[in-house]
Amino acid sequence: MTERNILHIRDLDISLGTGDKILNGVDLAIAPGKILGVIGESGAGKSMIGSAIADTLPVGLAISRGSIEFDGLTLTDMTAKTRRDLLGRDIGFIPQEPMTALNPTLTIGQQVGRHLARIGIGSARKREQRAIELFTEVGLNRPGELLKNYTHQLSGGMLQRVLIAMAFASNPRLVIADEPTTALDVTVQLKVIDLIAKMREAHNTSVLFITHDLQLAAEVCDDVAVLYAGQIVERGEARSIINEPRHPYSRCLNLATPNLAGPKTRLMILPKAMPSPLERTAMAGCKFTPRCPIAGDLCIGTPPPLSEISAGHRSACHWPERTETITPPPLKADDENTVLGADLVMKATGLGKAYRQHDWLGRVRRVEALRGLDFEVREREFVGIVGESGSGKSTLTKLIVGLEDITAGVLDVVGMDRATTPRERFFDRVQLVFQDPQSALNPRRRIGSLVTQSLECRGSGLSASARKQLAKDLLAKVMLPPDMIDRFPDQLSGGQKQRVNIARALCSNPRLLIADEIVSGLDVSVQAQILELLRELRKQASFSLLLISHDLAVVRHICDRTLVMYRGEIVEQGPVEDIFTNPQHAYTKKLVAAARGNSGLYADATEQEAENEAF
Amino acid sequence: MIKAVIRVIGRRLMAIVPVFAIVTILVFGALRILPVDPAQMSLPPSATIQQVEEKREQMGLNKPIWEQYAIWFKRAVAGDLGESAQYRMPTSSVVFERLPATIELVICSLILAVFVGTVGGILLFSARGTPFESVGMTLTSAVMALPDFLLALLFILLFGVLLPIFPVNGRLDPGLQVPAQTGFLLLDSLLTGDIGIFASALRHIALPVMALGLAFSPTIVRVLHSSLINTYQQSYIRQARLRGLSDREILFGQALKNAILPVVILVGTQFGSLFGGTLLVEMIFSFPGLGNLMVKAMQTADLSVIMAIALIYCATTLIFNSLADAAAYLLNPKLRTG
Repeated sequence: MTERNILHIRDLDISLGTGDKILNGVDLAIAPGKILGVIGESGAGKSMIGSAIADTLPVGLAISRGSIEFDGLTLTDMTAKTRRDLLGRDIGFIPQEPMTALNPTLTIGQQVGRHLARIGIGSARKREQRAIELFTEVGLNRPGELLKNYTHQLSGGMLQRVLIAMAFASNPRLVIADEPTTALDVTVQLKVIDLIAKMREAHNTSVLFITHDLQLAAEVCDDVAVLYAGQIVERGEARSIINEPRHPYSRCLNLATPNLAGPKTRLMILPKAMPSPLERTAMAGCKFTPRCPIAGDLCIGTPPPLSEISAGHRSACHWPERTETITPPPLKADDENTVLGADLVMKATGLGKAYRQHDWLGRVRRVEALRGLDFEVREREFVGIVGESGSGKSTLTKLIVGLEDITAGVLDVVGMDRATTPRERFFDRVQLVFQDPQSALNPRRRIGSLVTQSLECRGSGLSASARKQLAKDLLAKVMLPPDMIDRFPDQLSGGQKQRVNIARALCSNPRLLIADEIVSGLDVSVQAQILELLRELRKQASFSLLLISHDLAVVRHICDRTLVMYRGEIVEQGPVEDIFTNPQHAYTKKLVAAARGNSGLYADATEQEAENEAF
Repeated sequence: MIKAVIRVIGRRLMAIVPVFAIVTILVFGALRILPVDPAQMSLPPSATIQQVEEKREQMGLNKPIWEQYAIWFKRAVAGDLGESAQYRMPTSSVVFERLPATIELVICSLILAVFVGTVGGILLFSARGTPFESVGMTLTSAVMALPDFLLALLFILLFGVLLPIFPVNGRLDPGLQVPAQTGFLLLDSLLTGDIGIFASALRHIALPVMALGLAFSPTIVRVLHSSLINTYQQSYIRQARLRGLSDREILFGQALKNAILPVVILVGTQFGSLFGGTLLVEMIFSFPGLGNLMVKAMQTADLSVIMAIALIYCATTLIFNSLADAAAYLLNPKLRTG
């Protein structure tokens, strides 16, 4: 390497006050103009790298060893003031949630203007000119108008473009992008990624790309580093790590991710969870040992060094060559061909929903959220609903459970009239599980009382011990240990909480389960656990599932049929394989292309997107 | 923008009208339930039963209560609030003569409260994590526990008796000529350029303003402090820091505008108690305003004056609430731009 690295992290440790390590001996380097991906699940410590560079580590955490060099300067030796001066000038940041990353009480123009003033553009007129230039560069239409807008008037994709424009405004040497697309819709995600890649080229900037998404990293990064339990377990060229992983963790992550193409398999399930910093301190050997399918005795006592396997490819495993032998469990015979019941659980005919909106003058405007929906859900059938935000997925859920009134057509749900059926009887048959497992559980109740909560409104007359037994049975169904009934939600991990939510929904033996993005907030390995759990549950209890998801691969993985929603209409429906291998509607084609990472297909779709986002 | 401001404020003020109408009915009804006879009060004690009866007929007191209210309402709309039994003068002139003094007192107190509260809130927030924060919290708790009249007495003791730097009664030094224009002494003396009177008025109003204003400010300190802490947890603050903005720029350029909203709402909703506080404080400082008048009117059962002052209290509170509402609305771009 002739050129000096822009970022060079050497042997970095970040520790808690107790001495337990969040990051342990991290070595990273980015050459000028390159994109380095850091891949890891939550708790791996990936965001700490960005915070350490920016000197914004949370209270209680500190760098305890190692150094961070930026463009020849040793950041870890500099004063806080000098370090802050680098931020926004030489080091730019692209945040995870564009919707909350700008101040809602200031206009876009005020915020961009202040940033431009800070990086040395003197006059207000020049700042506006530069802002418009930048906005045009990142593909924002009508930049002049945008400057006068507030954040709530822009979509997530547009805000992320604004933030990218700000990050690159000073031609920084390094941009740190922390999960920049996680909060965005599928079709927008790819364009944002493309934009970051394009800006990197135009400004010759190095990018540190932090993500949990292997596929995405493969798409944009030159090199990647896989982080597990605060340590880098594998590092090298992006392609070779994605295609030929040499560390069991990378391989397992890959196998736990549902695919859009290729033969369907079961997802790889990693037992247990990533060790906490406290647990790591007590582990002498490789931190992945308890979950590793190929671990041997050597792994328990001796930590494997991050050693070179082939040119530029390093893996921290005693047996890198055995990685290939890890294969996902084969599909069982009854995994796929579920016998559907004859009865319909739900049937919608010409279903529609229109809202009356009042603007500030009190003028009434009719907004059609759903138009002419026709679909059926049969007994035991798993149906996926895909579509982007604003497509009407949530409105449909509200209509099904009766939170909103239907304004057109007929909707028959489990043969009950929502208007006359008492609520408790209706919800015996229809249950919901929501996206955020945390907020759905009352933190003051124990798990046992939470999962059997639906008994309370009916006065089932169950004795305390019978109820306890029922709770244990329900927990067993979702593969949680029975002694968990006495715990509180805060003592559980995200994946465990979501299982509790599923157990609670199953308490009344519902015929229809509505799952609204139930895996989207979860890590890949936890998502795999939940998806395989749903597949198993279908064999025991005969319920139908309506799975609402933005992730086509998830839908393909466990659903029989899918509905594609776009702007309040079902534009396509059919068996998952048909839809995803041979999409008919233009929008479905676009969705599938976006999910496959095929950005070329809609190089001409900028206008379409502007239209979408305005909507 | 200015159009939007006028529209919003106008709409809020319009909403007051029906509320105010209902309040007049309640106050009117309450005063008629009192076991005092306005007819008797308005006549000399030597009046015969015959005279009282005639007076009652003349005042319309024998009519059903809603008819009495209708009569009062008609006259009030025309600007006639009846006659003060105590002063034998039209109630309106009795009341409006003293109104400016109270308004002056309330506005000055409010300015002091908001100023001390905002500065204190920012200081307390800046001291977060240090021992000064706990000191500040304890101090604000202590002041919050003191009612305004107790503060008033304390200030008299401190600055009027032990360390006599401020006068403790009236609005002006005796012997000074008042160049009556608007009734607002501070304003009038400035307009006529009479610095002597201005200084005297300022020294007289200082202690009552301190009592009222400082009693209110700790609440503002606390609300702003917690609101700032809340705002600093937002991701746009973190993002601003990642753009390299200094602490000062983040506080004043980014956070304060978001954090001040709860303070605006607090001031709007608590304004009534500040105004109500003038009653005792004016008494204590013999400050010739509405509060003092109200106390005298109660002692002499001067019903029309009580009614008029009660309605002024009520109207001011309502108007101020609405202005605060409008301000909160205008500070929130999401509401403003729809």
